[in-house]
Amino acid sequence: MAARAPVVGEQPSPEVVAAVFHGVSVSSSSAILVVERAGRVARVGWSNEKAVAVLGYAQEDLRALPVDQLLPALQGGELRLLLRRERAVVMTLPVRCASGESLECSVSAVPAPGGRRWTLRLAATSNEQERALRATADAHERRFATLTERSPVPTLLSEQGMRLAHVNDAFCALAGQQAEELLGTGWLDVVHPEDLDEVIEQATAVLLGGEDGSEGEAQARLVRPDGTELTTVIRFAHLFTPGVGAGFVGTIEDITERLAFEARLAHQANHDPLTGLPNRTLLADHVTTWFVPGTGGLACIFLDLDNFKVVNDSLGHAAGDELLVEVAARLRATVRPGDLVARFGGDEFVVVCQQVSEADAVALAERIGTQLRRPVRLGGVDLRPQASVGVTVQTAEHQAAEELIRDCDIAMYQAKTGGKGRITVLDSDARAQARDKLRLVAELRSAIERREITLMYQPIFDAVVGTATSVESLARWQHAERGSISPGVFVPLAEESGLVAALGLLVLDETCRQLAEWDRELGAAAPRRAHVNVSALQLDGNLHDHVASALRRHRLSADRLSIEITESALMKDPASAREVLQALRDLGCQISIDDFGTGYSSLAYLRHLPVDCLKVDRSFVAELADGHAEITSAVIALAHNLGLCTVAEGVETPAQARLLAELGATYLQGFSLAAPLAAAEATAWFAAAGQR
Amino acid sequence: MTTPLAAAPMFDLERVLASIDTMAAQRPVAAQIVSVANSEQASAAELSHVLSADVALAGRVMKLANSAFYGMRGRVTSLQFAVTVIGFATVRTMATVALTDLDDESRLPEDFWQLSTTVALAASTLAPRFAERPQDALCQGLLAQMGVALLHHNDPEGYAELWAGHRSFTGRRTAEVQQYGISALRLTSVALEQWGFPPDMVTPLKQVDDLGSFAGALLRAAFEVGARLTDDDHEEQNITALTCGQLRERDVQPILSQVRTDAEELRSALLG
Repeated sequence: MAARAPVVGEQPSPEVVAAVFHGVSVSSSSAILVVERAGRVARVGWSNEKAVAVLGYAQEDLRALPVDQLLPALQGGELRLLLRRERAVVMTLPVRCASGESLECSVSAVPAPGGRRWTLRLAATSNEQERALRATADAHERRFATLTERSPVPTLLSEQGMRLAHVNDAFCALAGQQAEELLGTGWLDVVHPEDLDEVIEQATAVLLGGEDGSEGEAQARLVRPDGTELTTVIRFAHLFTPGVGAGFVGTIEDITERLAFEARLAHQANHDPLTGLPNRTLLADHVTTWFVPGTGGLACIFLDLDNFKVVNDSLGHAAGDELLVEVAARLRATVRPGDLVARFGGDEFVVVCQQVSEADAVALAERIGTQLRRPVRLGGVDLRPQASVGVTVQTAEHQAAEELIRDCDIAMYQAKTGGKGRITVLDSDARAQARDKLRLVAELRSAIERREITLMYQPIFDAVVGTATSVESLARWQHAERGSISPGVFVPLAEESGLVAALGLLVLDETCRQLAEWDRELGAAAPRRAHVNVSALQLDGNLHDHVASALRRHRLSADRLSIEITESALMKDPASAREVLQALRDLGCQISIDDFGTGYSSLAYLRHLPVDCLKVDRSFVAELADGHAEITSAVIALAHNLGLCTVAEGVETPAQARLLAELGATYLQGFSLAAPLAAAEATAWFAAAGQR
Repeated sequence: MTTPLAAAPMFDLERVLASIDTMAAQRPVAAQIVSVANSEQASAAELSHVLSADVALAGRVMKLANSAFYGMRGRVTSLQFAVTVIGFATVRTMATVALTDLDDESRLPEDFWQLSTTVALAASTLAPRFAERPQDALCQGLLAQMGVALLHHNDPEGYAELWAGHRSFTGRRTAEVQQYGISALRLTSVALEQWGFPPDMVTPLKQVDDLGSFAGALLRAAFEVGARLTDDDHEEQNITALTCGQLRERDVQPILSQVRTDAEELRSALLG
């Protein structure tokens, strides 16, 4: 008969059961015990070789051993937790070995049919390798914990979600709280309420992780229990623990001091260190911020302390500084809340007000003036400070913020020139004039840069022989729109606006160039010398070098130039003028004093000044026509006695020329003899003169 | 005539143990969450996907994530993010709470949750001092008394009497062993082990009464803090002895008021 295939659910044959038990008994992989319950006690009924080896009992000792001795953790009635009748149970339990040691095992109990017998399989929960791995992991964790604990960097750690698992000492010290108060979500209470949203947003983004969200950063204020605030940057990094989920590590950088330092630097950059007031930069920013073209209501009050230099010179700079500080304090105390008081520079202050009429601004200026005039004691002296005040209120004509400040500055100058201690409101005519002047300065600068300032040359004649021996270079400006502009206008303008040095250099260079050209073109007929006028502002240590350089550039000898300086310029600082002129004389140049007789020369000085020639002013020459030759003859005689030559200017008639020759004038210059000529005309004139 | 002895309480441990098996079948999603959350490879996406099948439980997870307890102030709008915020362990704990009807206060002894949240918060707060994760300790504290619910379900009247008659945790455990042959804490460990909770969660429950066991020290400390906060008649135990020298009395004092404050909030977030 053929063997029948076993059917599921059918009882296996005794042979199969025997084979299974035999397999289990000789298996070397698992410790197997068969437990039987007899009455209330469960005992080991059978064990395999592995169980004997693992537990260390002799086979016969193991048999009949009460299971509660083998599994001491199951006390009282708890053995029933393991030995269930209807289901297999797995429990992790310590198993007591014969030596008394406990072996942590996963104990699985499988009930046999009948409800009185169980098969127990014992498997040690961890082998050596697992233990080593766990020890390594624990060591890593300890190292990490130690590192963060001891780290001076304030650190937060959450292994799961938003609630904090760990803060280090550095964070506790920063927040001024104990770890217990900060753990969980306590750390969020430390964050300033206004910054909380950003902190949570960054932390949640990092918790969600992903490529973009693995790191986050938030600037947040932390509020300490004493109410002090720290500004920090909290940097979050994503942390994932397998089986636990997403967390984060947060490191905190306290930037309070850095921000304070930056604020100090910014304050220093924008404030005057002496008075603490905003400086010019901040003033400009402020006015720019509030300036809206086409509107009104913004007003500037510009103050310049009168006689501040006298205070500095007489009481010293410390007293001057003290006065400035006092003025700053009075200004601050007088203006309305919201008005800006700035130190414009030196002894100049500016007040900027918003939403004011002209009358309001003037009233404020008057109030300021009153406050300033209160006595202040400096260096033992009682002073009553006063200021010249310019007031400007924004109008529709103001296109840019700087125009407002500039107008205010102009108004202040008008106040100053009109008499000190005044308040001047800039009117439209004055503004137009001032702007026109500013435009002209810009155009003059441009004309100098483009060498549009041209030179005319007026011949100067030998009074005895009657031939032209030299020329005077005269600067001329032909403006494209305004036509010819007189030197009487543009020279003072150049002096006021700092352009005179450039203008002087232009005249000097062009004169030398023209002399050299005449030498080439005219040979012996070329003028022997050129007179070049020099402003008092040019009379400094650089003049010698400039003259020497121009001569060198055009290969001329120094005796081809006569440097003319006005009598009044010379007398401003005779000592330093003497040095500069002596240097030029040493170079080989001739020195002439222009407009002689119109100023207040000290004749004693004149004797010591390195001068070669006096130019008799045209006003005295003109008097000759009226029969008054006294001054002219006196000047010529004085020059003669000092061994100087003379040039009589403004010779209008042949009679004047004759008379001047008789009086002993060395040279003559004037319209009747020869008018100023353009370069080409002068060339032709000298060529013709040379042929005569 | 002698008075007959009172009949021994009829308590069938087998039935209680069998109920542990059947609970999983009654709330399959919760059981699946317990299983998935135990996996080392589980991701928030996977867990939230499973969770989304149980609307009630998902709602509670969202509510907890948005509670003041997590400081998120209503920012959590997705289930996956909610899982991230509260952590896998907490999701697993909430699933376990749902699995064992712990969320139905009518079927629990009075002040059960007050005690459980207090113990849980104490465990969570003290965890760093025992090199444990606060979130895991919180879950352990929340689940520790699951066995109480099991015993109460099976013997409502008897257990209610025991609960009322023994205020201290240790006293209750002793009474439970006398009455049922097993303590509720031990029953919890069996259930958790059966549902595949990791040994780290189960071992402290087993060793809480062994004063020499460091593994049980945190839970002992949490029970002591819980008792101090909830039982007016509690005789304070020496915390240093309870914790194998890990804590001193001064370590405990700062956390008492904090735990008391947060416990109600956590209970409200967990149970609604």
